[in-house]
Amino acid sequence: MAGGGIRPLAGEQERGSLVVMVALCVRYLPVLIMLALWELAGRSGLVSQQMLPGIGAIASAFLDLLSSGELIMNAWRSLSRAAAGLGLAVMIGMTVGLLMATRPLFRTLINPLVRILYPMPKSALIPLVMIWFGLGDASKIFLIFLGCLLPVIVSAYNGARGVNPFLIWSATSLGASQDEVLREIILPAALPDILAGCRTALAFSFILMVSSEFVIAKDGLGFLIGSLGDGGNYPAMFAVILTVAGTGFVADRLFGSFVSHRLRWKEQA
Amino acid sequence: MSTLSPAYNRDRLLQALVLAGLALVWEASSRAGWVHPFLLPPLSDVLTRLLTDMQSGAVFVDLALTLYRALTGFAIAAVLAVPLGILMARRRGVQWFFDPLISIGFPMPKIAFVPIFILWFDIYDTSKVIMITFSCFFPIVTATYSGTSHIDKWPLWSARALGASEGELLREIILPLASPSILTGLQIALPVGMITTIVTEMLMGGSGVGGAMIAAGRFADSVGVFAGIIEIAILGMVVIRGLDWLRARMLVWHPENRAH
Amino acid sequence: MGMATDFGIKIEGVSHAYGGGQGQLGTNTLALKQTDLLIRHHEFHALLGPSGCGKSTLLYLIGGFIPVQTGSISTQKGPVTAPGPDRSIVFQNFALFPWKTVLENVMYGLQKKGLPEVECRDIAQAHIKLVQLGGFEQAYPSQLSGGMQQRAAIARTLAVDPDILLMDEPFGALDAQTRRVMQEELRMIWKKRPKTVVFVTHDVHEAVFLADRISIMSARPGRIEHQIDTGLGPERDESTLTDRRFVELGEQIWRLVREQAVLASRGGL
Repeated sequence: MAGGGIRPLAGEQERGSLVVMVALCVRYLPVLIMLALWELAGRSGLVSQQMLPGIGAIASAFLDLLSSGELIMNAWRSLSRAAAGLGLAVMIGMTVGLLMATRPLFRTLINPLVRILYPMPKSALIPLVMIWFGLGDASKIFLIFLGCLLPVIVSAYNGARGVNPFLIWSATSLGASQDEVLREIILPAALPDILAGCRTALAFSFILMVSSEFVIAKDGLGFLIGSLGDGGNYPAMFAVILTVAGTGFVADRLFGSFVSHRLRWKEQA
Repeated sequence: MSTLSPAYNRDRLLQALVLAGLALVWEASSRAGWVHPFLLPPLSDVLTRLLTDMQSGAVFVDLALTLYRALTGFAIAAVLAVPLGILMARRRGVQWFFDPLISIGFPMPKIAFVPIFILWFDIYDTSKVIMITFSCFFPIVTATYSGTSHIDKWPLWSARALGASEGELLREIILPLASPSILTGLQIALPVGMITTIVTEMLMGGSGVGGAMIAAGRFADSVGVFAGIIEIAILGMVVIRGLDWLRARMLVWHPENRAH
Repeated sequence: MGMATDFGIKIEGVSHAYGGGQGQLGTNTLALKQTDLLIRHHEFHALLGPSGCGKSTLLYLIGGFIPVQTGSISTQKGPVTAPGPDRSIVFQNFALFPWKTVLENVMYGLQKKGLPEVECRDIAQAHIKLVQLGGFEQAYPSQLSGGMQQRAAIARTLAVDPDILLMDEPFGALDAQTRRVMQEELRMIWKKRPKTVVFVTHDVHEAVFLADRISIMSARPGRIEHQIDTGLGPERDESTLTDRRFVELGEQIWRLVREQAVLASRGGL
């Protein structure tokens, strides 16, 4: 029995992964059902292929776009803008939010601006950034930056304001300076809120990236979708739209797993 | 609340001064020629434009159209998403079917689907409202589902023990307990809906503040663009403050309203 | 060491009011009124009183967390003006840094002293052993029970070797059994490493069991109403609980505290 002990274990593991596979299939079966309905709607002639291209047609259009390099090039343009705007927003927004929470005078001065800008639908600034920065990268990066900035500021401010004062007292009584309290206590304690704000900002960065590229059409994924649609190449248009949607989904999931890794200290035993 | 501390008054005064200072700098920088007036037209010109547009009524037509589209899309999304979210939390079958679809749909940038809705429904109001509904739907259903499934079991057990039926349980216990989450979902969805409204108007035209602004932008009418931004900022603030007010009214019983 | 070593903390004419500005005591809630108290060097001193009597306020004033408005508080190091590692504190809700492991928490104050990393680690390890948390160095606070979290908090405070140890109802959040065990251990640790301890509690038996002297505070506005030498000797254990003197003191002090509690509830009406 001792020698054979490994075998049943391996079998169990195999069975374990099989269970996981089956569970995954059951979980995502509704997605397959929706895809089947999509395919069926076109095949049965219920909806014209023009309006709803078949999955096969979309997939082959996707591969064409991929091999021509068109998709990669435009995706690179788009994503580098989103990353630049989002990155700037996270760095500046975190600093501003933390300073607002810890410096009363700074809060008094900045708060009116935040209160005016926060509820404004940032897409309204598209014509403005066009006037200020023209049709190039700068206008889109600035728009994404502004759109992402406010959720980060507000979440950093709320997070830092909500820090348990006893943590701050503990740190000062252990000899931490004002500066060390900000960096070593307030920042990590506010991190869950800050990261939640960053996740919202990530979603906004995609929305504003695509919107600005639709309106200020020059290049990027939004532009590609528009031009394919204007040219009546609907399978390719669907392919790029689904690529954008998929990229947004993957970015959110990656960020989510980064967050749960970073905040693993929050897990209960 | 009735006793305003000197510190509070001083803050108010400082903030008013900050805003007045900004307005002054804005006005002065273009008047003095520090910034080209095309990039930053004087505030007084922008306000004059707003005033003439208000007198002609053009502003109100645009604002009303934008508001109508945004709120219609938002309301339809709420009416669909709240019951679905509750059903997902209460019925395993519904949860099984919708959970994967919604968890995939939630983080997607819905705005990318605009060209599909144009293709299907053309560029008129139907298409805009459906797009707005589509973008508001996911945050509301997600928040409702999570709020309803995380309700404490004790109030439910107490109500059952006191003789509540399934329907009464839903109306009198589950809905009120889930309402903070549902309202949070609505508060997340509304700004997204406003962004979507403006973008669809910019892309599809047909009046509305977004359409008017993009037209101003194309004609290099920077005064018009700034006037539009002020209009949208006010509209956004009114709509979002309205929802905050509604939350405070609906959740008077909730500890979150105890602090003030 | 010399002639000044007979006092640990000197509190003279301290009043404290909450809310509003300083100086206008009439319009605000008066938490402490003309409080005088002399705590001896290396004495285990308990502050006992009904809830809301200002005993925590007095402790926070000694800690330097809230500024002294009227009167003065001084230690061997001079007047108290700000928090510092010479007066370390343990809070009721532990106030461990949740994003740091037990080891990192205990090391924090040592690092602030500027000790080399290896030494920090060694001292921290020794204190973790002292509070019997060996083996849990790498655990996050959220993975520990309440009693274990409080042990970690005590280790963190003891590790910086403060002259004065402030304890704000440290066992208030623990269940009755754990509280009893922690009391015995605290007394034992204190015997090994004598310090001036100010221990705030509203539990009469806890105060009698732990302290050399007990100050009973009056209902709000708080002041020291009675001072009692427990005279139970340095050894405290299971048998102390059945000691005649322990039982009598408990009853006597309970009557005094009850008087104040009744006054407090009348005042609240």
